[in-house]
Amino acid sequence: MLKHLFKLIWKKKKSNFLMMLEIFVSFLILFAVWSLSVYNYRNYAQPSGLDSENVWAVFLNFNTDKDSLKIIYKDLVRQKLKSHPEVEAFSFSSSNLPYSFSSMNNGFTYKKKDISSQVMEVDPDYTKVLKLSLAEGRWFTEADKAAKIKPLIITRHLKEALFGNENALGKITGEKDDRKQVIGIVECFKYGNDFQKPENCAFTPSGDWQTDLLIRVKPGTSIDSEAKIAKEISQLGKDWSLEIQHLDKMKATKNRIVWVPILILLIVCGFLIFNVALGLFGVLFQTISHRKQEIGVRRAIGATKSHILWQFIGETLVIATFGLTLGIFFAMQFPLLNVFDVDKSTYLLGILFAVITVYLLVITCALFPSRQASQIYPAVALHEE
Amino acid sequence: MIRLKNIEKVYRTSTIETLALNSISLEVAKGEFLSIMGPSGCGKSTLLNIMGLLDEPSKGDISVGGESIRDFSDKKIARFRNQKLGFIFQSYHLINDLPVLDNVELPLLYRNVSGDERTRLATEALQKVGLGNRMKHYPSQLSGGQKQRVAIARAIVGNPEIILADEPTGNLDSAMGNEIMEILINLNKQEGTTIVMVTHDENMAKKTSRLVRLFDGSQVL
Ligand SMILES: Nc1ncnc2c1ncn2[C@@H]1O[C@H](COP(=O)(O)OP(=O)(O)OP(=O)(O)O)[C@@H](O)[C@H]1O
Ligand SMILES: [Mg+2]
Repeated sequence: MLKHLFKLIWKKKKSNFLMMLEIFVSFLILFAVWSLSVYNYRNYAQPSGLDSENVWAVFLNFNTDKDSLKIIYKDLVRQKLKSHPEVEAFSFSSSNLPYSFSSMNNGFTYKKKDISSQVMEVDPDYTKVLKLSLAEGRWFTEADKAAKIKPLIITRHLKEALFGNENALGKITGEKDDRKQVIGIVECFKYGNDFQKPENCAFTPSGDWQTDLLIRVKPGTSIDSEAKIAKEISQLGKDWSLEIQHLDKMKATKNRIVWVPILILLIVCGFLIFNVALGLFGVLFQTISHRKQEIGVRRAIGATKSHILWQFIGETLVIATFGLTLGIFFAMQFPLLNVFDVDKSTYLLGILFAVITVYLLVITCALFPSRQASQIYPAVALHEE
Repeated sequence: MIRLKNIEKVYRTSTIETLALNSISLEVAKGEFLSIMGPSGCGKSTLLNIMGLLDEPSKGDISVGGESIRDFSDKKIARFRNQKLGFIFQSYHLINDLPVLDNVELPLLYRNVSGDERTRLATEALQKVGLGNRMKHYPSQLSGGQKQRVAIARAIVGNPEIILADEPTGNLDSAMGNEIMEILINLNKQEGTTIVMVTHDENMAKKTSRLVRLFDGSQVL
């Protein structure tokens, strides 16, 4: 039967070639969309490594450039925050707060390797504020800040980049004054957005000039309390100003930057695919109305309704399979050539899902016209000739 | 074999109603060679279509092998057409996208016959009608008479019990027509195939065992 279908398809290769091409293009679009979706979903499904709920980002401006003054002012702020029962924990940080638009990169060296990484200069309580959990080792304490070799906590990704399979705890990176010792490892830290892939990030004690602040407050802290805390802090000194943002909202903003373009792409592709489907539907209807006589003959000769139904669905599936084979050949180059340095299985899943989508699409489009064909009354079809 | 009782067929279009068959009662016995004659438009093709269960009568009963086809499912009708019937259409009705050999194999495709067996039987049938050298041709590359013979080969390839032939010699010269007639007579005599044939040719009709005349949809004796 398959050979029979091949012959019919081959005879009409011109029009079938167009259909095949349409399916090929649709497959490539779907492959791209699915790979992108799988890639982002997989990253999204990874734990973020931090808890942004009930955390405020506070941007303080002491209106001074003098570090000595900043030290004093920061202590005033600390005292004030400690007196508030709503404040559970807080930490000063370099300006590259999670979900902020600033970044601070540094190179870490180890055995001739020089790896660039995001560096966050923070207080010991940073881990309490963001509820970080350590996979290995420990977080630094107030006592560590005084050490000559500064403590360093790194993400698993950075650990693998720098030390490979070696045990990283206790290892020293950098030279002379810039030496730092790894004392802890966090599994992941998605500081950019929820769709971020695992990246290099390191934490080290903060300098005195950092004036950005993260505060964890008790759940259910009201807007009034927020205003009160903001007011009290800004009144501590002359010409101080401050701005409070919720880390959750900052995260939502950063997430939107990722998913909105993807959503637009999905809508555009959905529209394209819908058009292809409509085209396919039309072509199939036309084909079948051109082949009424053939359908009549087949019925007269002993084909059942379901023979006719499956013949037309089968023909469409064979053509789709040709288009898909060609498409898969191209799509396979992505995992084979390791394009974009994305995990191979992401591409393979992309191919699998695209194949399933195309077949579902084709069956859906073929079903109605083919059913129509199977309902054609043989005497009528033969008389129309 | 096939029994028609008070068959009436009305074709309705939006403007006119045509009574194509009017109260036809006819029994085709096993092993019979029946010919049907009548002027153009008198309902011969319609009658043949109804006998072959391709068309439903507007009124009346059809029974096949003693069973009324009223309760036949689509599957059962299809199986009857496939295994018991061979159709030769007035306008051949070959599938233009398939080569001659595949056209002839077609009835076997809807049976459980292996590919090799199909080819063997189809080749045999084509040789019987003298087209052994045209198997790879497409219908469009054949003359009218050749197409007619392909249609005959397709009708006999499945070794049916009944052949319904609508002017099988209508497009052939008398020599070729006689040859085809020979084939049908042989099938009838040697294999016991029941044949119902529509013809315009009195000479052909004379060679058959029974003649039914139609006029304006009615049977004339
Ligand atoms: N599908 C149809 N719709 C409407 N009228 C039809 C249809 N089929 C046949 N008829 C009408 O029924 C009548 C009988 O047609 P039929 O084809 O059976 O004639 P016929 O005896 O086979 O003629 P011919 O010798 O020319 O082949 C004709 O008047 C024809 O116009
Ligand atoms: Mg006719």
